Amino acid sequence: MATVEMNGTSFEVDEDGFLLDYKSFTNDWVEYVRQQEGIDELNDEHWKVVNVLQDYYEKNGIAPMVRVLSKLTKYKLKHIYELFPSGPGKGACKMAGLPKPTGCV
Amino acid sequence: MTESKAVKDTAIDDQGIIKGIEQLSPEKIERVINQVLKSETGARLKTYVDTCVHCGLCSDGCHYFLAHDRDPKYSPAAKVKQTLWEIIRKKGKVTPEFIENAAVVAYTQCNLCKRCAMYCPFGLDIAYVMSVMRRICHKLGVVPLYIQDTAHSHSVTKNQMWIKDDEWVDTLMWQEEEAQDEVENLRIPLDKEGADVFYSVIGPEPKFRAQLIYQAAVIMNAAGENWTMPSMPGWDNSDMCMYTGDYEMMERLKKAHFEAAANLKVKKIVMGECGHAFRSVYDMGNRALGWKMPPLEVIHAIEYYNDLFVKEKIKIKKKFDRPVTLHDPCNIVRGRGLHEMSRNIVNATCKNFIEMTPNREHNYCCVAGGGVINCGPPFKNARVDSGKIKAEQLFAAKAKGAEVVIAPCHNCHGGLEDIIHHYGIDMELKFFGDIIYEILELPE
Repeated sequence: MATVEMNGTSFEVDEDGFLLDYKSFTNDWVEYVRQQEGIDELNDEHWKVVNVLQDYYEKNGIAPMVRVLSKLTKYKLKHIYELFPSGPGKGACKMAGLPKPTGCV
Repeated sequence: MTESKAVKDTAIDDQGIIKGIEQLSPEKIERVINQVLKSETGARLKTYVDTCVHCGLCSDGCHYFLAHDRDPKYSPAAKVKQTLWEIIRKKGKVTPEFIENAAVVAYTQCNLCKRCAMYCPFGLDIAYVMSVMRRICHKLGVVPLYIQDTAHSHSVTKNQMWIKDDEWVDTLMWQEEEAQDEVENLRIPLDKEGADVFYSVIGPEPKFRAQLIYQAAVIMNAAGENWTMPSMPGWDNSDMCMYTGDYEMMERLKKAHFEAAANLKVKKIVMGECGHAFRSVYDMGNRALGWKMPPLEVIHAIEYYNDLFVKEKIKIKKKFDRPVTLHDPCNIVRGRGLHEMSRNIVNATCKNFIEMTPNREHNYCCVAGGGVINCGPPFKNARVDSGKIKAEQLFAAKAKGAEVVIAPCHNCHGGLEDIIHHYGIDMELKFFGDIIYEILELPE
């Protein structure tokens, strides 16, 4: 467990850098992950992915498959990886404040 | 939260272990241990434990030992001392605190990579001893939370990532459609009876890395392969239950996998680039089910790709021109001897190949294997710290010019990615499938 800071707000994270408590998500967290992930600028498409992930997670308690993410955003797989170079599991889920997915990831 | 010793000493905060320990009593521990020792381990464990002369030659075989400045606590023999030796000596009369430390050792300080077995004068298999410890922990309900969640998913869905049956099929059809933009009329044939090849993958491919299925489809298509993928459970060849010690579930999973292929009357199973899944199908799962060798022909992607080049079933546009190095995964190299075949593929596809040292069966582990990465964030820092020796090995390959690391195993990818990031090595990771797809000449 560790604490990170962005714009004066502290966040508790696990050792993989995922938010420990989903409820502590704020826009400052998004900004923190953006810098960590080396994404130059966030656009509406990044936000759409984040919103879809959060909506799905709040309903299902788990991250959606990338297929579901693609269906709900209308983005192709390649485009999702262009938006989040570390991928939907490690990059996008982290930005959306979801816990680290379990499994071989 | 319990202020227990192992947790405090190693600053580990894992609810699976902590809550599990809270449920234990000395009587339960003794009963479960003796049940396992009496009915499951037999002569094998006894031989290993009785034969060891405590010479310590295994120590230098272990990357944990080397990465921690030769701290004796990380020697493979010391890990046996912290687990089964004591348990056998005390006939199962050990405390919950002992089990707690033993669980941390067995699940997170050994990748079951079997490198040490090669340095033991008697060839004792310490990975087996650690697996017995995990088996005991599983039966006691003391398993790290993240890997137990994965085992639960296996139990419910027969895949490791909570994927529902319709989502699996939908993902295959989706990747078929996306691939058709590149290759007209490409198909991912579902449930094709009598196909030559039954292609199986691990859960993370459909869950997040569907491009790997796309690439495999493009390669199969270019090779003119008569292939299929199953629409029903049995498609996931992975097996974290094998690593938690839940051997009953491991058997069910392997049975589902073999049956999915047998029902379709296919000629052989080709598995994607995963190491632990191969161990489960070719060594542990099949044998637990009573088959010394798999009941159907099963080959790893490396054997399949090598065959494509040997038989000239695919052509390449030009060789991959960035300098590459190759990481030999434990389960398919020490476990199956695919090291020379891997090099055949590298030579057929890459212009400039730089060996990392040591290599082949002597290669250092990625520190992710054996389910260690699956134990998740509570053990991430300890894991990358233990990757120091691997980092040095990668830095040395980079100093000779290597820019890309080929690792034909998912767990190795996860572990190496973390090591590369943590130590700032700045190398790119690829599967063989990535390279072949990139340079493949698509048929007219």
